[in-house]
Amino acid sequence: MMNVTIAKLALQALLGRRRFYLLLAFPVLLIGLVTLITVLTDGDAAWEIVPGLGYTLVLPLVAILAASSVLGPEVDDGSIVYLLSKPVSRYGIAISKWLVALGATLVAGSLPIFVAALITGDTTRAVALFVGAVVAGTTYSALFLAISAVTRHAVIASLMFVLIWESLLGNLFTGIAWLSISQWGIRIGHALSDELPDPANLPWAIGASLVVTLAGVWFAGDRLRSFSLRGED
Amino acid sequence: MSEHSQPGSRPGVIHDLGYRHYDGVRDGTATIARTLFVTGLRHAYGLGRSGKSKVMPFLLLGMSVMPALIVVGVVVLTGGSSLPVSYADYTNQTQLLVSLFAAAQAPVLFSRDLRHRSIVLYFARPLAAPVFALVRWLSLTVAVWLFMSVPTLLLYLGALLSGLDKSDQTSALLKAVVLQVLLAMLIAGIAGLISSVSLRRGFAVVGSVMALIVLTGVITAVQAISAEEDADAVATAVGLFSPWSLYNGLADAWDAGVETFVPVDGAWPLAYALVALLLVAGCLLGLVARFRKVGSR
Repeated sequence: MMNVTIAKLALQALLGRRRFYLLLAFPVLLIGLVTLITVLTDGDAAWEIVPGLGYTLVLPLVAILAASSVLGPEVDDGSIVYLLSKPVSRYGIAISKWLVALGATLVAGSLPIFVAALITGDTTRAVALFVGAVVAGTTYSALFLAISAVTRHAVIASLMFVLIWESLLGNLFTGIAWLSISQWGIRIGHALSDELPDPANLPWAIGASLVVTLAGVWFAGDRLRSFSLRGED
Repeated sequence: MSEHSQPGSRPGVIHDLGYRHYDGVRDGTATIARTLFVTGLRHAYGLGRSGKSKVMPFLLLGMSVMPALIVVGVVVLTGGSSLPVSYADYTNQTQLLVSLFAAAQAPVLFSRDLRHRSIVLYFARPLAAPVFALVRWLSLTVAVWLFMSVPTLLLYLGALLSGLDKSDQTSALLKAVVLQVLLAMLIAGIAGLISSVSLRRGFAVVGSVMALIVLTGVITAVQAISAEEDADAVATAVGLFSPWSLYNGLADAWDAGVETFVPVDGAWPLAYALVALLLVAGCLLGLVARFRKVGSR
């Protein structure tokens, strides 16, 4: 299903000039901040930042940036029709683009979280958070790719999901943990280390992450299959 | 405010498009600027644009107004003697929505004309690039300020209707409004500058979110940790680096109902105000430079 040429083009779109620096800024910021605080105070004070800021804010933002740069610009300027006019399965296009977005999310989102957590000292909780971040990063990238295929306002819609649904409302209503990608990841990490909270149950977290990932990629392919060009609104 | 056109007063200005000759009185720069301002303000809320583009601003506005309505309802029903949240603090509590609104709508005002090169058509008229940039910024500032002030005014109305002390509430409201104006100038400047440099809508939004939300998150975390470690000077100094921490610091110093981790006192409020004004000035200079450059191409 995977198409190497399309993946290569998506990678080029992702690493093109300024975008790359924006993508790079997140891990540098996170690791720099955690290192600074660890040096100045101690690892436990800095640890608070890794799940609190890195996991809930940096990871989804990296996923949004990655997912919207592999599909967004083409939908935005309409050049996606040249790609869609090629005799390639639309699901193949969606999967190829998703894999690139996934790779970028894991490298620029999950890996820095692991490094930052390692800097704060405890290896077990770092591994646990890393596993959670890999699961959440995978799910996020599939969901955001699906959103990018539906609307031109993909970035804002994704941001509203992350910032308002998961962060703002998620902090007020604990029940939202059952419908929150970041909380599923945290729950899977909790199976490895008790330092992470326990917001939902494990089979649900694994199942829901899997379903959203598969459904997201399939839906993106499906939207591309019945894609129609619309003017700027 | 009207003046006669003077052909040749500035080269490259198109007055007569060649369809029908006109040599009556022409409105001056002030009228053009005012029209541009009103159009920009309407566009920031999706008015005069397609139905779809109204969804986002009004959805966000609705979400920021809803808690205010609930608060007013609770105060009216239970007959409390004060609002559970101060006017300035309400804006702080809904900062995610305000930042998101600015990040989402700044590209509408600053990116579209540049991306589609329709900026050339604006500059072909007697309107200088710096004026264009400043008017656009003013539109976004007023749009952001309205976004913050609508729920605040609702709170105020609710407080007056439920019979709270009028002079107390009015002075608290006025303080909040002054701070909100400053904050709107900051946010509009930052989001506008980012959107005028980064023309892809997605990247402009992520860039603004980074400057407004991620940076504030980082600074809040650093402030919390340094307050815990009793490094008060660090906690206060770090607050200089984000519009929201500037707003909160000034609100704390001015007794407007926002508590920061460490009280901002001594010479710090002056530093906060100066940094805020310098930041606004810097953003404006950046915007003017950016539009000058684009206009000269």
